Amino acid sequence: MPDNWSFVAAAYGVTAIVLITYWWRLVRRERELDALRNRPERRTSRQS
Amino acid sequence: MIRTLGWLSVVALVAGLVMSFGVAPREVTQGTVQRIMYVHVPLVISSYVAFIVLAVASFVYLLRRDPRADRVAHASGEIGVMFIGLGIATGSIWGKPTWGTWWTWDARLTSVAILFVMYVGYLLLRGSIDDPERAARFAAVLGIVAALDIPLVHFSVYWWRTLHQPPSLMKPGGFTGSTAILWPLLVNLVAFVILYAYLTARRARLLRAEAEAVA
Repeated sequence: MPDNWSFVAAAYGVTAIVLITYWWRLVRRERELDALRNRPERRTSRQS
Repeated sequence: MIRTLGWLSVVALVAGLVMSFGVAPREVTQGTVQRIMYVHVPLVISSYVAFIVLAVASFVYLLRRDPRADRVAHASGEIGVMFIGLGIATGSIWGKPTWGTWWTWDARLTSVAILFVMYVGYLLLRGSIDDPERAARFAAVLGIVAALDIPLVHFSVYWWRTLHQPPSLMKPGGFTGSTAILWPLLVNLVAFVILYAYLTARRARLLRAEAEAVA
C-alpha cells in the first residue's frame, strides 16, 4: 500500500488547526472579559 | 494549576508527536497512513471521558443544584463535541485510503454520528433557553441520557458486522499488538486526556467569569 502522506498530514493538520483555534477563542474571550471588568474601575478612578 | 496543565499538555502532545513519527514503526499492511491511529483513537477515547464527566457532573447538579457542577458539565460537553468531531474527521480521512470510502453507514460510524448529534443537541439546548437554571436542569437530563450511547458505540463492533475494526485498546484481553505501537498510542492518549482536562478547566473558569459579568 502506498504511504499516503497527504492523508496523514490532513488528519494531523485538521486536528491542530481546530484545537489551536478553539484555544485561541478561549484566550480572546478571557481578554475581552478582563477588559470589560477593568473598564468601570477606570471610570470610577477618573471621577474621584 | 490551569497554567501547569496547559504546559503539561504541550509537553505531552510534543512527546506524542515524537512517538507517532519518530518511534512508532511503519505498519506493514497499511503503511504510513496507519499513523493516523495515534491521533484518532486518543481523540475518541478522550471524548468518552468528556461525556462521562459530563454525565457525572450533570447528576451532581441535579442532586445539589451546584452551579460549579453545571459549569463542568457545560465545559466538558463543548470539549467532548470538539474531540468526537475531530475523531470522526480523522477517522474519515483514515478510511478513504484504507477502506476506499470517506464514510459508510456501518454500526460503529452510525452510532458515533448519533452520539455527535446528541451532544451538539445538548449544546444547542443550553443555548436556546434563556433561564440559566432551567437550561442547566434540562441539559443535565439530556447529558445523562446521551451518555447511554457510549457503550453502544464501543460495543457496536462486536454486536454487529462492521467495516470498522475492533477496539485497539479497550477490549477483552487487552492490547494484543506490538509494544512499538502500544507505547506511542498510550503516550498520545495521556496527552489528549491532559489536554481535555486543561481545556475543560479553562472553559469552566471562563463560564464562571461570563456568569459574573452578566450578574
